[in-house]
Amino acid sequence: MSRGKRLASGFILLLLSVLAGFSCASLPPAPADARVVIFHFNDVHGKIDNFAKVAAIVERERQGGGDVYLFCAGDNFTGNPVIDQYQPPGEPMLELLNRLAVDLLAPGNHEFDFGMENLRNFAARARFPLVAANIEAPAGALPQLQPSIVLQTKSGLRIAVFGLIQVEAQNGLPSTHPDRVKGLRFSEPLARARAMKGLRRDGHVFLALTHLGYEDDLRLAKQMPELDVIIGGHSHTRVDPAETVNGVLVAQAGSDNRFLGRIELRLRNGRLVEKKGGLIELKGPLAENAEVKDMIARFNQNPAFARVIVEAPFAIEGRDALGSLMTDAMRAAHGLDIAFQNEGGIRLPRLPEKITLKDVYTLDPFGNQVVEIVMNAEEIRSLISDSFRRGDNIDLQVSGMAYTVRTDSERRIREIVLRGADGTPLPEDRTYRVGVSSYVASSYKFSHRDPGRALGATSADALIRFLENRPDFSIYRGVQRAFQDPPAQGRRY
Amino acid sequence: MHIKVNHKTVEIFSGARVADVLRKYSTITWTQVQKGSKMVFDGHGHEVGLDGELGEGAQLYIKRVPRAEPRS
Repeated sequence: MSRGKRLASGFILLLLSVLAGFSCASLPPAPADARVVIFHFNDVHGKIDNFAKVAAIVERERQGGGDVYLFCAGDNFTGNPVIDQYQPPGEPMLELLNRLAVDLLAPGNHEFDFGMENLRNFAARARFPLVAANIEAPAGALPQLQPSIVLQTKSGLRIAVFGLIQVEAQNGLPSTHPDRVKGLRFSEPLARARAMKGLRRDGHVFLALTHLGYEDDLRLAKQMPELDVIIGGHSHTRVDPAETVNGVLVAQAGSDNRFLGRIELRLRNGRLVEKKGGLIELKGPLAENAEVKDMIARFNQNPAFARVIVEAPFAIEGRDALGSLMTDAMRAAHGLDIAFQNEGGIRLPRLPEKITLKDVYTLDPFGNQVVEIVMNAEEIRSLISDSFRRGDNIDLQVSGMAYTVRTDSERRIREIVLRGADGTPLPEDRTYRVGVSSYVASSYKFSHRDPGRALGATSADALIRFLENRPDFSIYRGVQRAFQDPPAQGRRY
Repeated sequence: MHIKVNHKTVEIFSGARVADVLRKYSTITWTQVQKGSKMVFDGHGHEVGLDGELGEGAQLYIKRVPRAEPRS
């Protein structure tokens, strides 16, 4: 660096220090020495079992009387059907977060998974505010959501916090089904963060509580050295110890309630002099809060799991019928032209007449997302071909079309004939919106120019919705849409 | 979207999670990760969960889990 540049940099640093001095001058006087502890977790995804340990750890620290906070960096829902299928959905998470006395929550993309009405009810009953600077809600839609907040600690410090949520580059929305965020406007998080720089003046500590993923948290730290701390989520990254990047402490506590993050800040005369963060592993014999443990036990006995979703006129048996039902559900839920379900993902031989939630999650237990891929007829053949070669047998059940795999005496594929739902040849001169599970999309080797996109919902979700709408079950008696010619021995083709 | 796994680019559907990318990368590696003999890290050396959500250009590294020293 030239002498001139060094001088210029020195001047800029001096100017920033003076400005920082002015900023602090606008804050109320701070105690000579202060210590703030911020516990944090993210991406719990309904895994509630360790919350009794979290409660014990946080309460022990709070009993010390210092400035102690508990922040949540989003994604409490989706990932544990026992919790997700509570009525109302996600209720156990709300009760537990209130009991833990969470101070602040930055919503993640999965906070929207049960729809706006559910989130509105959740926020209305939450004893903590929600922060996200890059969500704009119409007046009254989500009154508890605010871009930022300034927390006043017991010792007289101020902690200024703003929230951010990730948005997809393709559609400018968080990773959830677009229908669930209708009416909300989202802006690009890092650009929006720049507009929050002025908040630095309002806090002795300046913090971002994000649900962006670790990579974007690092970008945020690089573009915004005004921040003291970033507490993040979304990428399920185990950051232990917390990293200092461009002077900003960046923390994230893995996922699934396996870790509790703990950040400790020390301030002298209102100025941050030390900051560090690490994770407390929740596995193993740690003290548990008895009351929270009882709540968890109660929630795990979810009575809704035994709820009969629908009563069918007969038991639905066999992979053809079950696969047809599952793919019809996938197609209906997402308005797809065609849907496929691999037989390995059909985990029950039979659905009884009275179909419960437990039956659905036993039939389809993997939590696979539905993925949409735009494909032409040749690409569909490529998918069927790969699926057939996996076991020299029919492997994919289908909705929206039918097909026959013609083989020679060595069971090598000679031809794959595609037919529309009406039995006529499937038009070859167009493309189709095809739905498959995330397992098929990632494991099967087939040609497709469109890489595809996850639709923010699982195949089990689709089936539950489909059954709740009481479909015409008569079509599943003796249904067959995937054929092998000549038929394989031991199979009904 | 494009994710790098051990420096190899994997093209996968947007919204894919770590587990999806690993399945597409290598069936053998995916099995090893499921069995716990290998773990997944990001480009900064931090462990990431299999349900971790990924963005365009993310980097993953698969590393063998060191065996515990036998007790004497």
